[in-house]
Amino acid sequence: MLALLEIRRRKLQFGFVTGVVALIAYLIIMVTGLGLGLYDAAGTALLNLNGDHLAYAANSNFSVIRSRLAEADVAEVRALPGAEAATPIGYVAAVIEYAPEETDTAAIIGVIPGSFAEPEVVEGRPLGGPDEILIDRSWARLAGTRVGDSLALPIGFQTRNFTVAGIVDQGYFFFQPAMYVDIDSWQELNFQGDPADRPAASLVLLQGRDLDGLRGENWRVVTKEDGFNNIEGVQAQQSTVDALRYMGLLIGAMVIGVFFYVITLQKVSLLGVLKAIGAPGSYLIVQGLLQVLIVCALGAVIAVGLALLTEATVLASDAIPINFTTGAMTTASISVVIAGVVGSLLSARQVASVDPIIAMQQQ
Amino acid sequence: MPILQLSEVSRSFGQGARRVDAVREVSLQVDRGEVVALEGPSGSGKTTLLALAGALLTPTAGEILVDGEDITKYGARARTRYRRDRVGFVFQGSNMVPFLTARENLLLVGDFGAIDRPALRRRADELLEQLDLAGVRDQVATSLSGGERQRVAIARALMRDPTLLLVDEPTASLNFELGARVVDALLSEVHLRDKACIMVTHDDRMAQRADRLVEILDGAIVSDRPLR
Repeated sequence: MLALLEIRRRKLQFGFVTGVVALIAYLIIMVTGLGLGLYDAAGTALLNLNGDHLAYAANSNFSVIRSRLAEADVAEVRALPGAEAATPIGYVAAVIEYAPEETDTAAIIGVIPGSFAEPEVVEGRPLGGPDEILIDRSWARLAGTRVGDSLALPIGFQTRNFTVAGIVDQGYFFFQPAMYVDIDSWQELNFQGDPADRPAASLVLLQGRDLDGLRGENWRVVTKEDGFNNIEGVQAQQSTVDALRYMGLLIGAMVIGVFFYVITLQKVSLLGVLKAIGAPGSYLIVQGLLQVLIVCALGAVIAVGLALLTEATVLASDAIPINFTTGAMTTASISVVIAGVVGSLLSARQVASVDPIIAMQQQ
Repeated sequence: MPILQLSEVSRSFGQGARRVDAVREVSLQVDRGEVVALEGPSGSGKTTLLALAGALLTPTAGEILVDGEDITKYGARARTRYRRDRVGFVFQGSNMVPFLTARENLLLVGDFGAIDRPALRRRADELLEQLDLAGVRDQVATSLSGGERQRVAIARALMRDPTLLLVDEPTASLNFELGARVVDALLSEVHLRDKACIMVTHDDRMAQRADRLVEILDGAIVSDRPLR
């Protein structure tokens, strides 16, 4: 009763701190969303590949960009005991002009049509030949490309036209929308020398068990997740985002803690009176924590509303890689509430230490 | 049997050269339906004696019996329960919860422990009526006059039907007329409900309205005489 009535009657005071909590929670949700967005943009297309392990060139340091495997290496990996299925995939970045004076880069992934590396289409049909391409939904949204349209991909100083056969929902690779072509076409796009000298693949995608850590003279196998974490910059990027999030939570805990500590200090004489007339310390602590929970929960709800509004307006253009998921928003909101409660423990200690005798000493 | 009985009670603060004997070997008893005015100059030990009787302080020596039970042996929880269930405090400044209404200040004591809520609400309305506060029951404490706040404080002290009322300078911030009304309301409640009451005051005109006057000086009782 006491906690709720105080909030109701001191709207300005509690409204102010709720606003501050909401801004902190909003910041944390935005940073969390940015973290997820960057994580997705870094390589969801790799994580979404229908396999569990990847073989890299031994000298590539598990970099997709540097990894090049010869036909013999691919054959060796395919023959690994425990490999239930294996298929080569290639990667190259390409600048595509999708409208006059309008260009953007895409991650071109070469696959064997019909293999388990070829993603399922959500619109159109699978790859049907060397001049066809599957594009990710994000590219279709960005460039307005539709099934049946033609895209010119650069080969040396020339370009080659590919017809969009279908649209997939695989996401990004190296912050670029993923596109899928026949692996032979990928070889042409990537290497202009003698066809006999061209690498057969960038990686080999594997399905099977107990493959992690296997190695040959020219290749190494790791899990798909390890492969993702080795994408250039991913670790540093996620560490930075995590650090920002933890700093936000720390600042939130401190702001909420200081606010409630000041409120508690202002109420010391009243707390003394309440203890003197029989209020147990536990009752007063519960009332204080209840206020913290209400303020933090309200702040988190406002922050979620602000985040959704931001997503619907400012972020609608896909220009900033922010991804708001229900899970992320829930986690961020709960984190803010927990940070608030932790921050207010000092106030709880202060409440517990108030001596009721001060009720008699304040005349 | 008296409701409150203090036997050879002493309380000192500090140690060595800084030791102050606030209360020295005080023996006092207060019977049911009796209002004892405790009078003395500032620093004479009146408030300390009240705090001892209310278990806000523990004596350094002596025994304090309430309804025959020695409250000096209580632990922290038992002291809280004792103050909640058996003592009604009225402080000098009324000490209302400022953001609650008069009625909510009364109902607040129901939050501190098991009590029949509907009965509590009935009792609050009844006390507000008796103390002529029905018209201000929904006003927040800060908007009440000094006299109204003190009467609300008396009503709050009576909410859990305590056996002992401990009242500290209830009229210090009021003019004589208003103070007299507050004290009369208090006396009426004590007599009507058969409570025991100690009222600390340094206003002799207020003290003269009690049933008995006890004078204290330098922590010791120097006179104890009936007024009726």
